[in-house]
Amino acid sequence: MATVLIVEDEQNQRLLYKEELKLEGYETVTAADGKEALEKVQEQLPDIIIMDINMPRMDGIETMGKILSKNRKIPIIINTAYSNYRSNFMSWAADAYVVKSSDLTELKNKIKELLAKVS
Amino acid sequence: MEESTLKSRRSGERILTMILAGGQGERLYPLTMDRAKPAVPFGGIYRIIDFALSNCLNSGLRKIIVLTQYKSYSLDRHIRLGWNIFNSELDEYIDLIPPQQRVSEQWYLGTADAVYQNIYIIEKEQPETVLILGGDHIYKMDYRNMAQFHHEKEADVTIPCMEVPLDEAGRYGIMEIDEDSRIIGFSEKPSNPKPMPNNPSTALASMGIYLFNTTTLVRAVIYDAKQNTAHDFGKNIIPDMIQEKKVYAYPFVDENNSSVNYWRDIGTLDAYWEANLDLVQISPIFNLYDKDWPIRTHQEQNPPAKTVFHEDTPGGRTGMVLDSIVSGGCIISGAKIERSILSPDVRVDAHTEIYDSIIMESVRIGKNVEIRKAIIDKSVDIPDGMSIGYNHREDSKHFTITEKGIVVVRKEMHLK
Repeated sequence: MATVLIVEDEQNQRLLYKEELKLEGYETVTAADGKEALEKVQEQLPDIIIMDINMPRMDGIETMGKILSKNRKIPIIINTAYSNYRSNFMSWAADAYVVKSSDLTELKNKIKELLAKVS
Repeated sequence: MEESTLKSRRSGERILTMILAGGQGERLYPLTMDRAKPAVPFGGIYRIIDFALSNCLNSGLRKIIVLTQYKSYSLDRHIRLGWNIFNSELDEYIDLIPPQQRVSEQWYLGTADAVYQNIYIIEKEQPETVLILGGDHIYKMDYRNMAQFHHEKEADVTIPCMEVPLDEAGRYGIMEIDEDSRIIGFSEKPSNPKPMPNNPSTALASMGIYLFNTTTLVRAVIYDAKQNTAHDFGKNIIPDMIQEKKVYAYPFVDENNSSVNYWRDIGTLDAYWEANLDLVQISPIFNLYDKDWPIRTHQEQNPPAKTVFHEDTPGGRTGMVLDSIVSGGCIISGAKIERSILSPDVRVDAHTEIYDSIIMESVRIGKNVEIRKAIIDKSVDIPDGMSIGYNHREDSKHFTITEKGIVVVRKEMHLK
């Protein structure tokens, strides 16, 4: 079963994603900020990453760059409440950009789509 | 005419120039022992990068990023002292940027990776186009004309090109174009280069300069960053994009206005020696003296060059300089210099003879020395009676000797 790394500083959101993705049949790993995400990528080698942008210690854009420089193959979905990070050129390095919504359908579809592409 | 000039000036304002100055320059060793290749002295008073930078200045491009990496101190210092002429209040700048580990934890893996790691600079500037230059080419080019061509063709990328002899074509990126100058084939350093259809003894070579629409560039370097490639514009980015993107070849127009186009890639010590010696021909193709295309540099204050002694007696000393470039602060004291280039503050003593050589700053050359086909790097003291370039077996014990037999003496070498 595919493992999803959820990088999200807001605890309730993290729990919500974890539960929802478990129901979809995924294994989940969580990280509360970019620095923790880097550790988790190394330890757990997830199949896909959901990445918030605004986080303490290290933001999602910088984290994504660092992950890409070590492991180019793991797909990354940017998941932020703001659509204007699209104008940040580095955000184009993500495999998908999904604006946060109470409805997780789009996010779940993207995960499925990207995992299918990799395998 | 005036209107088109104005238009191209305006387009110049939206061009960000990135100069790739991070290469190790191993093939120029030992000249690159202490300095990055773009900082290697050239033509007496210049550094190699001065030519690309002068092109920018003469083309009205005043937003310049120099991406450095290896041994950048000397380059950094040269730019700081010689090129600190941009006005930040007019939003002009020349910034030197070493790898910052901002998006990656590695050094620059290749030319494309150097741009990728500096994407945030492009984003901050939001230019219409980005001009990518190497810091190691000698040529004169008005980039505004290329920018105009780029806009007229509605190109995604424009690459200046020139014809080169077919037997040298394997050293370059060789392109095939259609009748509209759109590039339909591109291979970097091919073993079997394709000749030009109308002139089979030549091939069309990329000059290693790229004008990109900003979004095309950003998407290309991001895509490349995720691939396992050499991360190189010539090897990866351009060949990968000619199918889907509009990549055009711009025929190089040399601002030297001579019958032959002058563009030299200073890739090897032999190429370096030859390009320097080009300058001492009677009317060199590459003209340093054109007031309409000044080449800027940094140089320290030096007294004028002089020659001394004119003794007519047999065995007398005569200071004599023929077909040569002599920089400020040099004293030719009873010595003979022919077809050579002397950087500032060189002293040459009596009965010494120097032919076809490049002598760099603050070199001291004693009496009765003979030097032929040599490059003497900075601050070397050559003792009385020494011979360089006449006996390669002897020379090879201490010095580097190139394929074509040029002897290279490294910086600050102790010979006494």
